[in-house]
This record gives sequence, C-alpha cells and structure tokens, in this order.
Amino acid sequence: MNAIANPKPATTDTVLRVQGISKSFGDNHVLKDISFDMQKGEVVSLLGPSGCGKSTLLRCINWLEEPDAGHIRLNSERMGYAGSGAKMNDTQLSQMRSRIGMVFQHFALWPHMTVLENVMASPVHVQKRDRKEVENEARAVLKRVGLEDKMDMLPSRLSGGQKQRVGIARALAMKPEILLFDEPTSALDPMLVGEVLEVMRDLAADGATMVIVTHEMKFARQVSSRIIFMDSGHIIENRSPEDFFDHPQTDKAKTFLHSVQYK
Amino acid sequence: MNFYDYLSFVYGALSTVGVSFVAIIVGIPLGLGLALLRWARIPVFGKCAYLYVSIVRSCPAVTLIMLIYFGLPQFGISLNPFVAALISFSITATAFNCEIWRSSLLAFDRSQYEAAQAFGMTRWVRFRHVLLPQIWRSSIPGLINEMTLLVKNSPAISVIGLLDITRAAQRIGARTYEPIPPLLLGFAIYIIIVMLLIELQKRLETRIRSAGI
Ligand SMILES: Nc1ncnc2c1ncn2[C@@H]1O[C@H](COP(=O)(O)OP(=O)(O)O)[C@@H](O)[C@H]1O
Ligand SMILES: [Mg+2]
Repeated sequence: MNAIANPKPATTDTVLRVQGISKSFGDNHVLKDISFDMQKGEVVSLLGPSGCGKSTLLRCINWLEEPDAGHIRLNSERMGYAGSGAKMNDTQLSQMRSRIGMVFQHFALWPHMTVLENVMASPVHVQKRDRKEVENEARAVLKRVGLEDKMDMLPSRLSGGQKQRVGIARALAMKPEILLFDEPTSALDPMLVGEVLEVMRDLAADGATMVIVTHEMKFARQVSSRIIFMDSGHIIENRSPEDFFDHPQTDKAKTFLHSVQYK
Repeated sequence: MNFYDYLSFVYGALSTVGVSFVAIIVGIPLGLGLALLRWARIPVFGKCAYLYVSIVRSCPAVTLIMLIYFGLPQFGISLNPFVAALISFSITATAFNCEIWRSSLLAFDRSQYEAAQAFGMTRWVRFRHVLLPQIWRSSIPGLINEMTLLVKNSPAISVIGLLDITRAAQRIGARTYEPIPPLLLGFAIYIIIVMLLIELQKRLETRIRSAGI
C-alpha cells in the first residue's frame, strides 16, 4: 500500500494533499489510511463498488465529516485546523469550504431561490463579494452551462440535466480551487446524462482541478488524468486511465470493471 | 345598549387583541427556538422542549391562566391579572407554534442544508438564507390558524376578572335582559379580527412569492 501513498513531496502545484485519512462510523471502518495528491489541472476519477467509501472520502475533504485520523491540505493549508493547531471554528471552516466546490448526486439546489439566486448565494453571503459583480459573473457562468434562458426560474421547473448544470454553475461561481463531483449523473435519465458530462468535459479541458465519483466508465477514461480505485476503504489502484482500464492489476478492479460491463 | 356598553366592547376588544398579539409576538420566535432544539437533536434540551410541549398542550386555557394567576403568588411573585393573562397565553402559543414549526422542519430536506454547509455557509447564514425562508413559508398557514385559535380562546381571561369581548357581551345582556344583540356584536368583532388575520396571511404569502434571496 505504501507504494501509492504520497510518493513525492508536495509541490507548489499540489492543490490537494490527502494524507492517511481514516474514518469509522461506529465499528464500520469506512476509510482506512487513504492518501493521494492532486496537482493543479488534474482530473481524478474515483471509482469503486458502492459502499466502498467514495462519498465519505469526498465529505472528509471538505470536512462535512471529520476524519478520525489524517490530514487534508488545500493548497498547503490544513483543513479543519487553524495555524495554532486548534480546531477551526464555524467561520474559519466556512472560509475553507468556500474554496472547494461540490456537486451532488441529487442536486441539493435551494428550492426557494431562482436559478440565478442559487448561483449567487455563496459568492454573496459567504465570500461577501459585490452583488452587482457577482450577478454579472453568475449570468456568465449560467450561459456557459447553457442555461441563460432559465435564470429566473425556480429549480423545480427544470429537468434533471438542467438542475445538475445549475449545480455545477453554483459550484463554479465560487471560483473554487478544486471541484468535487459525487455521482453527478447517477440520478439522471440516461437521455440527460450527456449534457452534464459535456459541461464537465468542457471544465476539464479548461484546466479545472476535479475529483469525480462516477459510474460512467467511458467518460472517466476519456476525461481523467488518473484513476483512483477504492475497495473497502483502501485505495488499491492509482494509475493512468489507460493502465487501469486496459491492464487492471488487482482482481477487485477486474471484477469491478466486469460488473460495470466495461469492455 | 348605551354609550358605556359600546365602550366596554372597545375595552374588551382591546384586551382580546392585546393578549393575543403579545402571545403571537412571544410565541412565534420561542416556538421556533424550541422546534430547532428538537430538530438539531440537541440531547437534553431537545427532550426538555418535547416535555414542555406535551405538558402545555394538555392544559386547558382556563386552567393554565388560573394556575398562573393564583399559583405564582405562592412563590412570592404577585401579578396583576393582565400580566398573568399575557404569560399564560404566551406559554400556550409557544407550545403550539413549536409544533407548527416542527412539522415544517420535518418536511425540510436536510440534504440542501448540508449543501449550504459544503458551500461555506456558516450556521447563521444557513439558518437565515436557506432554512428560515423555507420553513417560514410552509409554517404561515399553521401559524395564522394558531393565531385565530388564540383569539377564540381569549374568553378564558375572564376567569381572573378581566374584561374580554364575550364577557362584555354577557354583562350587557344580563343588565338589559336582551342577551342576543350584544352577543351578535361580539361575534361580529371576532369575525373582523379573524378576517384581518386571514388578510395578513394572504399578504405574507404574496410577499414571499415575490421575495428575492
Ligand atoms: N453518516 C453515516 N453514518 C453511518 N454510516 C455511514 C455514514 N455515511 C456513510 N456510512 C457508511 O459508510 C460506508 C461507505 O459509504 P459511502 O461513502 O456512501 O460509500 P460510496 O459512496 O462509495 O457508495 C457505507 O457502509 C455506509 O453505510
Ligand atoms: Mg456515494
């Protein structure tokens, strides 16, 4: 396992450093000593069977779950602990979290806000940026995801694919240093998956740093710079997409690829 | 009915409205506070909120107001009847409003609250901009309904000698031997008060529909 645990020291391009993260719920050991780095502009697909801890890992990265052990560093700043070593308070944690964008499987849009307000909420209320400026940017971001004509609608009036594109626009509006996607297309009708993947492909090409949990194997292969494969709380493969898909080294990965019918 | 009879109606209406109004102003935020204690599953406090609501809910308005008015002086707290009425109605309104807020909170989808957390919103911002607008919207009908119940429970204040609308009507009827006209007048005043509350509900609901973030 050591061979894939932070082999090199962090560089100035290391956006995210995950070191020795462990997390249990009761006696269910969900994450066991997870370590990996992400360089600026890297796209990592996090794969693994359901229940292996992918969501929990993403939630540890932005401290929605507090890990039992290990460090998370975002551009060399430690998550969850202030400089003095004391635990971060609500305000400090909020500032750290606002530097990480997250996209959820079930969208989790705020239903009482219009599309535009959803996108503006965090920049205005968390980053305290100028409202007018935020609005212009929000309109631009929504245009980028193809929703310029839906800005004043409530999320409930949108299709799943449109909702998820709002979810992505909402994350982008914070200008995050890294984007986390937790199965962004799993709740969508097959017909609508393409439009969301298209937006994500565009982001990847644009140099965004992204961690993507997905079951879209073809997409993962095309868009990722690296594949991390997890099984029962461990990272057991961490390699290029070609290596992983064409020559999986572990039986678990072979079984997994077989089960998702990746040929 | 003479001039003084009408005056006593005005007086009765003022105490009915006054007691109800104070109970509403106190009961809405306190009820919300209790409901949030339960929603956030704060160990001991959540349980206390539950006990408070269960006990108060089972106490009739007349009983509670007498308990407060005659009971508190035993502990050296002497009250004038109007203050006793305010306290008693506020206690009840808090308990019932707690249940109204709580059912809105139960219907609230926690995942978008967590999304707000992931987007860096502090506890206060999440409450103010994500939770409150949504539960306020879904609580308005219940809260207004509870206000009309408060108004209609207000005759209870007459048991400690206060003059409310119904008591005024009853006194006039007893003197003139014509109970029906003053009762009808009292009824009309209740109708006006409740209509005003329903109008308030409509306005709040329209305002919400056109509100921004
Ligand atoms: N809040 C929680 N409390 C208890 N158990 C949890 C919680 N969150 C996740 N788990 C458990 O952790 C394991 C991994 O879950 P998860 O990270 O959601 O897996 P994945 O996203 O890979 O499907 C599962 O066994 C799940 O039941
Ligand atoms: Mg998951």
